[in-house]
Amino acid sequence: MNRVLAARLIDLVVVLFGVSIIVFLMIRLIPGDAVAIMLGANTEITPERMAELKSRVGLDRPVIEQYLLWAGAALRGDFGTSLWTGRPVATEIMTHLWPTLELTMLSLVLGAVLAVPVGCLMAQTRGGGADVAMRIGAIAGLTIPSFWLGIVLILLLATVAPSFASLGYVPFLEDPIGNLQRMMLPAFALALPILANLSRLVRSAMLDALGQDYIRTARAKGLNERRVVYKHALRNALIPFLTSVGIMTGYLLGGAIVVEQVFAIPGLGRLILGAIAERNYPVIQATILVVTAVFVLVNFLVDFLYMIVDPRVRA
Amino acid sequence: MFRSALRGAIGAGFMAAMMASASAQVLEIGAEASPTGLDPHLITAFPSFMVVNGNLYEGLTTVDRDLKIGPSLAESWTISPDGKTYTFKLRSGVKFHDGSAMEAEDVVSTIRRVQSKDIASPLASRLSAIDSAAATDAKTVELKLKEPSAPLLASLATIAIVPRSVETNKDILQKTPVGTGPFKFQEWQPNGFILLAKNDAYWQQGLPKLSGLKFNIVPESATRQVGLTNGQYALLPNIDAATALQLKGKPNVKLSETLELAYTLVGMNVSKAPFDNAKVREALNYAINRKEIVDAALFGAGVPGGPLSPALKTWAVDVKEFPCYSFDPAKAQALLKEAGVTLPVAVTMNVLPRQDIKDIAQVVQEQLNKAGFKVELKNQEQGQFIQDWRNSNFDLFASINSGSPDPDEYFYRTFRTGGSTNVFKYSDTEIDGLLDSARTLSDQAARKVAYDAVQKKLACSGPVAHLTYGTLFSAMRDKLQGYEVMPNRSLVLLRGASY
Repeated sequence: MNRVLAARLIDLVVVLFGVSIIVFLMIRLIPGDAVAIMLGANTEITPERMAELKSRVGLDRPVIEQYLLWAGAALRGDFGTSLWTGRPVATEIMTHLWPTLELTMLSLVLGAVLAVPVGCLMAQTRGGGADVAMRIGAIAGLTIPSFWLGIVLILLLATVAPSFASLGYVPFLEDPIGNLQRMMLPAFALALPILANLSRLVRSAMLDALGQDYIRTARAKGLNERRVVYKHALRNALIPFLTSVGIMTGYLLGGAIVVEQVFAIPGLGRLILGAIAERNYPVIQATILVVTAVFVLVNFLVDFLYMIVDPRVRA
Repeated sequence: MFRSALRGAIGAGFMAAMMASASAQVLEIGAEASPTGLDPHLITAFPSFMVVNGNLYEGLTTVDRDLKIGPSLAESWTISPDGKTYTFKLRSGVKFHDGSAMEAEDVVSTIRRVQSKDIASPLASRLSAIDSAAATDAKTVELKLKEPSAPLLASLATIAIVPRSVETNKDILQKTPVGTGPFKFQEWQPNGFILLAKNDAYWQQGLPKLSGLKFNIVPESATRQVGLTNGQYALLPNIDAATALQLKGKPNVKLSETLELAYTLVGMNVSKAPFDNAKVREALNYAINRKEIVDAALFGAGVPGGPLSPALKTWAVDVKEFPCYSFDPAKAQALLKEAGVTLPVAVTMNVLPRQDIKDIAQVVQEQLNKAGFKVELKNQEQGQFIQDWRNSNFDLFASINSGSPDPDEYFYRTFRTGGSTNVFKYSDTEIDGLLDSARTLSDQAARKVAYDAVQKKLACSGPVAHLTYGTLFSAMRDKLQGYEVMPNRSLVLLRGASY
């Protein structure tokens, strides 16, 4: 157990180091000069002023020097300040992390929790009317783009219950009802594809499990169908399910950009998007590092869950 | 159970809505993009300008809806007979949001700040005529100029006066702005909203009427529209025709409109073939049907435009006086033959990533291709577009340029040899001479003669094919009184608005 933990920690350090270098170089390879972009199109500026601005934000130094300076500070927990607003990057990330975290949790709970019974039901009624209907629903859920769904949901609610349709974001601690009221639609828009994806996965894993010898044995010894499905088959079908949930959590925490955009939620996705558009290097670097760390940690958590679900992994 | 939960939730929604209307004095604004900073001497983009201009900060002068220059923080001014000394008498009783009094020393340090190399303000060139600034007493500022400058008073309207304490500070105003405006900074939730509160110590009696402004950052147009129709937002400022048309006639929603100062354009690189040839540039103008662009890309909301916005009534030359504005593809072909270029003339056109510009570029492409050109469109990401623009790395580009109440701002930096935004590398001794003299003339009629000549020459053989001036809209709830959209996109009129 401790060995696994230690190995994972080393993984984390190596991945973060690698990602930090790749991100650092990659964003500097995107065409478009940070200072030029900041000044915008058709603004009056002489080359001398550009050079002055560049040295003001330290972009006139050699890339290696920039990296070492930045990495050194980051190791001490200092992610620097946003190029233009001068706000500390760490604060910037924290304020954008909460909405994303909440959205992720809500949509995962909605999507993943529902996916288990739906998937089991589909497997049990395999080929029947309910199965076919649910499978069509799942394909629809997978193919409907979430931004489209989001806009339709907003328009729908605006016509059906205009006073209920609130946009934007308020922190949960400030106004719990207002918060949930605003988060429900985006969480639903995000949860639908998750539900569709995971329920199909549960279905096929269950079908696989239900065909196994030990299920026949279980039935033969007279267990009722519910126990057979939910105790014996489900537990074995859970491993691919957990893997998928882990990966999805990672993606969601990276910010569901499109949904955040449609519902005007100030999450990580919008932070990264804005930072890339304005070539705000310190913000991009730190945000991607944080998202990477979260991704690795979630995967670690999933491995840990494997051990609980499947005793064989523990060995 | 579900039903009762839903009922409870809807009830809560009503309650929230009622609470909102009780404190409705804070005007909820649906803004498209987040400002990147709030330092008035560093920002250039509209999202920042909209928050800052006239709300948080004020200049010595101000521009009204008819684009006339009037007094603001300066109560009055006198100009010496040689036009080289401006003496401003400052308004008394004006305080900054931090409580300190606004005095002559603040104005002087503001001018130094904008001109300083260390701050590297993109507005520095607007003050290039100023040689020195001095406070003769607490309420009097004297500006000495290197040469007379006709556009100076218009330029000063765009220079926000800041406290002397921030003269050398590059960071503080970006996050926590301190001005003299009717609203003061309260809170900024990045990508969420910017909240401004009423400035109780504002110098203009009885203003502002609103108790605050909240700029909600809502990037998706459909979401903003829903927000306005259901009453969550009271104002969508500076929207385009496409959005305005969708909101037209919705219950409790009204529109305000004006002709813009900004113009859409096709820019030509005159430092290389084929647009180094004036005949080719003239041919391009003949090949463009501006009326069709207005109808097809702007939904009819705009006018064909020459080098100056028709909103500048005293300056703009009527487009009927430009021969090349009579759409004539045959003439274009003939001019191309005269120019001796091989047909079709194959060129690429960089396109600014904005929906209206992309639409315009497509219409222009089709029109040019019918008249002997072969245009390839290059849709670019913003950063790439700006980079190519700044490095003059293009044959043609389609874009939009902002305007100003004074013609000098339109022309000098863009068309003067070596001008800071003359990315076309255009150089013409006649234009240079006219622009140099026009900015130093104090006689309005003589200036007008010079700028008429500039417009006529630029319209057909200049490096820019001016296309259109669009109609700019603001959509708002019926209840919002006293606000109108301004040709320069300023929200300065919000100080007198009530809701």
